[in-house]
Amino acid sequence: MNAINLKINNEHYDVSVKPHWSLAYVIREKVGLTGTKTGCEMGTCGSCTLLLDGKPVFSCLRMAIDAQGCDIRTIEGVEEDNNGELHPLQEAFIQDHGMQCGFCTPGMIIAAKHLLEHNPDPTEREVREAIGGHLCRCGTYIRIVRSILNAAETMRNAQAGQ
Amino acid sequence: MTSETSVVGKSLPLLDAYEKVTGKLKYAGDLPAMHRMHHAKVLRSPYAHAKVVHIDTSAAEALPGVSAVITHKDDITGKKKTCGSPWHDFSFNFMGPMISPEVCYVGDEVAVVSAVDEETAKEALKLIEVEYEELPAIFDMEEAMKEGAPQVRPWGPNSLPPSLFEWGNIEEGFEQADYIIENRITLGNQQHAPLDRNACIAHWEGDSVSLWTSTQALFWIRDAVTDFFELSPSKVRVYSTPTGGSFGLWWGNNFMLLAIAIARKARRPIRLVLTRDEVQTTVKRRERPLIDAKIGITKDGKMVSQSYRHLMDNGAYGNKFDPYQSVADIYTTEHARVEFIGVATNLLPAGCMRGVGDLTLAYAIEQTVDMAAERVGMDPVEFHLKNHWKTGDICHTSQEVVFAKLLFNKNPTVELTSSGLAECITRGAEAMDWKNKWKGWGTPSSVDGHKVRGVGMGISTHISGLAFFGFNGITVKVNPDGTMALTTGIGRMGQAGDTTQAMVCAEVLGVELEDINVIDGDTEVCGHTMVTFGSNGMHMGARATKAAAEHAKEQILEYAAKHLEANPADLDIKNRRIFVKGSEDRGVTLKELMSTPIFEYLAAPEVIGSASKGVEFDKAGKMMMADFAEVEIDTRTAQMKLIKFVAVHDSGTIVNPAVCENQVAGGYYQSMGLSTTEHLVFDDETGAILNPNFMDYKLMGPLDMPDPEIMFEEVYDEDGPFGAKGIGEGVTCAVPIAISNAVYNAIGVRIDPPITPDKILQALKSKS
Amino acid sequence: MEYYSPTDLNEAYSLLDKYGEDAIPIAGSTFYMGHREELFDEVEAVINIKQLGLSYIRQDDHGLRIGATTTLNEIFAHELTSKGTFGILAETVKELNINEVRNMATIGGEVCIAGEVDMPTTLLAYDANIVIGGSKGVREMSMADFHIGYLNNALEPGEMVLEVHIPQPPANTGAGFAKFERTAADLPIVNVATRISLDNAGACAEARVVAGAATLSGVPERSAAAEAALLNKVIDDTLIETAAVASGDIECIHDFRMSAEIRSLWVKCGIEDALQRAVAAVQ
Ligand SMILES: Cc1cc2nc3c(=O)[nH]c(=O)nc-3n(C[C@H](O)[C@H](O)[C@H](O)COP(=O)(O)OP(=O)(O)OC[C@H]3O[C@@H](n4cnc5c(N)ncnc54)[C@H](O)[C@@H]3O)c2cc1C
Ligand code: FES
Ligand code: FES
Repeated sequence: MNAINLKINNEHYDVSVKPHWSLAYVIREKVGLTGTKTGCEMGTCGSCTLLLDGKPVFSCLRMAIDAQGCDIRTIEGVEEDNNGELHPLQEAFIQDHGMQCGFCTPGMIIAAKHLLEHNPDPTEREVREAIGGHLCRCGTYIRIVRSILNAAETMRNAQAGQ
Repeated sequence: MTSETSVVGKSLPLLDAYEKVTGKLKYAGDLPAMHRMHHAKVLRSPYAHAKVVHIDTSAAEALPGVSAVITHKDDITGKKKTCGSPWHDFSFNFMGPMISPEVCYVGDEVAVVSAVDEETAKEALKLIEVEYEELPAIFDMEEAMKEGAPQVRPWGPNSLPPSLFEWGNIEEGFEQADYIIENRITLGNQQHAPLDRNACIAHWEGDSVSLWTSTQALFWIRDAVTDFFELSPSKVRVYSTPTGGSFGLWWGNNFMLLAIAIARKARRPIRLVLTRDEVQTTVKRRERPLIDAKIGITKDGKMVSQSYRHLMDNGAYGNKFDPYQSVADIYTTEHARVEFIGVATNLLPAGCMRGVGDLTLAYAIEQTVDMAAERVGMDPVEFHLKNHWKTGDICHTSQEVVFAKLLFNKNPTVELTSSGLAECITRGAEAMDWKNKWKGWGTPSSVDGHKVRGVGMGISTHISGLAFFGFNGITVKVNPDGTMALTTGIGRMGQAGDTTQAMVCAEVLGVELEDINVIDGDTEVCGHTMVTFGSNGMHMGARATKAAAEHAKEQILEYAAKHLEANPADLDIKNRRIFVKGSEDRGVTLKELMSTPIFEYLAAPEVIGSASKGVEFDKAGKMMMADFAEVEIDTRTAQMKLIKFVAVHDSGTIVNPAVCENQVAGGYYQSMGLSTTEHLVFDDETGAILNPNFMDYKLMGPLDMPDPEIMFEEVYDEDGPFGAKGIGEGVTCAVPIAISNAVYNAIGVRIDPPITPDKILQALKSKS
Repeated sequence: MEYYSPTDLNEAYSLLDKYGEDAIPIAGSTFYMGHREELFDEVEAVINIKQLGLSYIRQDDHGLRIGATTTLNEIFAHELTSKGTFGILAETVKELNINEVRNMATIGGEVCIAGEVDMPTTLLAYDANIVIGGSKGVREMSMADFHIGYLNNALEPGEMVLEVHIPQPPANTGAGFAKFERTAADLPIVNVATRISLDNAGACAEARVVAGAATLSGVPERSAAAEAALLNKVIDDTLIETAAVASGDIECIHDFRMSAEIRSLWVKCGIEDALQRAVAAVQ
């Protein structure tokens, strides 16, 4: 066992891990943040996506021990990052029905958040590419894409209004 | 008849949307650890058929951290057979012991270990020594049906007695026909493949057991556990969390029973979470069909006789003898014979998956119908319009008929409550621009170099719940502030069952959706509810919800009548306010009514509405659909691409359009998967699944397909709540038909799903 | 199992020496973590090589140098690899439609696996060399020699990949990449990379036609016949077709993912597509 410290959503967690334990596993099972889902544990579904030093990664493919010192942001931190209020993406997913069972939703929102931070006015194709590695077995893609595009617009309007 | 509605018909957000977008919603795998909880892992058979002649678990038991090991030697067999009410989906060893000394498919359970953590449990599995004696295994349905074929499993025949529907006289019918078209089809092995992984926690306290799991089958599991462990229902409490997608996968399954059994032995709460591999290879899959179809038609394109023989590969423990179908009626002929035979093989057990028999049989019917239309030179759209099912027609193949016969030896007449098929077909054809794109059978609609396009169509139907699904017990409790708690045992698997039931409740009681709090997922709290399957939620389930809400409304109006000194019959509720019809300013808000003491009791009213209701057997509300596809085949690379897709659905009144649109889209993506890349590959030699994960079992992603055009033909169903019928399962049914027919028109060769580059290449070769 | 995250090469080398075959260097960890169950018993020490300063892309007189732990998305975004002479590298990355994997997977990881991956195919078409380091020193080896079989390479115990070195191609060079897969987010079922360099008369002076992911040998292979068909000729549609047909010398694997027949067809189609793109890209 290796004692490490993880910084998740600006909180620090001391955990003991084995080297081959994935970040997804540790965040879910040891830290207890279960908003990050694990559908496949091999990089093929996208449900475990989180931001590591600002970039979206699959946390099932990252060793937890290799995330020490990194800035980790999960779905649980999205409201925190938005002054405790729902992020426009979350609002849009709610209003536009960008979900059915909701299992893929946290991963989709994290990937989309990164996209909109770097590309406030994406094309539909760019949105689809940003979630290209994410599966939604419920087949909600139309409305997921719509939610992201609508959130982008809301955010642009808010920006322009400021 | 339609009625003015204020909640029904709106795309209101899901009740649990906030939990979903914030990651707060707990699926079974997210439940917090319990005190002293251990983790279980299952040792599984590497053989498709074998006897466990020797098993030594001593080393595993001795491993520090291990709390219990169970094998076939632990006698944990209840009187199982009693849980065999006809609708149960046995995709596990329900007639034999919970862990059998004879394993019947690769992945069958051999032993279970519980330990302080998953890793220790895994380590312990490696220490179990098993000696197997291989037995002959059968992977092919027709082989399994042969006289003298080795028995697939230690109980029962390999093929179940046929369930048969017959009307008229097919021989006579075929004599009247000018042409007879015969056809044989099969499909690939699709897996439900929800993103979430099955999981449960089992915990005994004294002689009572609790189980937490994600499921659509709350009471089915309660009943199965009662039977397996010979307990009173009062000793079994099942809690269900939402599922991360189900599509039929999250019913009861042996893994839950194993967790309960080992929890008893370990005397600890036990958590069992399946790996992706286990989800894909040990829970269940869609039954693979092998169907012989025969259709007789006259020169002018009238269908006169039809016969289908539908084999279903049930795998090792599946038990399907009637695939929840109704589609054999979709063409009304005087003569017909439909035969279903469930066949066991030494493969992964099969069970219901979205659409079930209305997907498999519809595929066979519609391929053959396309051939029939070709034979008489009639545009398929015209052929469909001439022959299809209409409101008031008889449902010969409704399962009511089977179960009336099975349970009561009666032969009832079941009537179709509504059908908007004609409109679906017409609108779909127009949206596809069928007139211009359809150039004849086996004739592409356009050719651009080596890219050829073709269009195709298909229709289907599906049930909206059925009489023998039983009753739904619902309560509506009104709070002092006018909000209310709706208690329902409906499963939550992304179909928004909680939201749409609440919408029905809110509509009846004249309140807003946000006023309703849905309580679900607890067998002690909820009324007995059928498994949420067979698209029963909005038609059958909501009839009970509506009745319970009406019961509550009755009470509210009575109290309000006192308050307003009026006659209850003169009152109504809208916008959270009870008023006198005709003089609307005389009224009281629901909140005021519910929080103001009434003289008789010196207390505020207490309102609880309840109902227990199913659907009657003599009427069946079925959804209808017509799908149209345009595909492009690249004759250079043998690849297929979907260009355009139109889906038109008659599900009666659309209670929540966004929800229904998502459902239709989901069916489209899943069935496109079935049509192309989604098929479990079984090793010919061993029967093992070679693609047990998403790396090689390929689901459709956001970049793979064009958005479909989705339309609803809202035919008001007099029998459904607010005119609604079901939708969830049927959405898959017609998609593969339209795609296959489109492929045929593009390249002139019929290909059954999965339509792989290999099959396309062979087809192109056979053509040239 | 032990975990190390050395910060200088000598420290890394001594750990590699210490554990020999029982050590596994980890970069993006996308392959390792996806296979952790199978690899679990084989691995005694995990050596994270991301702190060794091996993340860079630079050009010198000898061509382009890409550090082993450079991620695919860094290659996708970098000026030197997203356009111009080496733009084909970004085009190759673009075909991997999983942004998160691109953020993690490294060129070193891709090169070391050389199974169902894309980058080695493109690198072979550019005559890339692999720079290998160990306590005994640094050596450079051609891609062709480095890959010795499916998921198998020529690294000795104690060695690791430091860098991929791509020699400067001649002027008038163009390249093309083509990938065939089952869905958009899939491993390659077949990939093809081509590079052509033209002489002053416009004839093909140098040609590379490489197919990967599909080969029976398990590693990317050049089609000698296809290359020969192109040499010294002016490339037009007919010649492309001839070269593609000649690719029959690449034997394809047959498995549950796809038949050998389809893979061979796709190798041929891929060569057509990649050559068309290469011709269009000549600069
Ligand atoms: C779902 C999915 C789809 C993918 N699709 C594609 C695709 O379409 N095309 C594509 O090209 N790739 C694809 N990949 C990526 C590819 O399969 C590998 O995962 C990736 O290339 C590995 O890179 P890494 O840096 O993460 O390697 P790691 O997992 O860190 O290492 C992989 C192996 O290489 C060794 N290794 C790594 N670096 C070094 C070094 N410098 N020296 C010595 N040994 C080293 C490790 O010891 C290990 O054995 C996909 C991955 C996933 C998960
Ligand atoms: S769990 Fe990480 S990608 Fe599926
Ligand atoms: S909403 Fe169910 S997987 Fe996307």
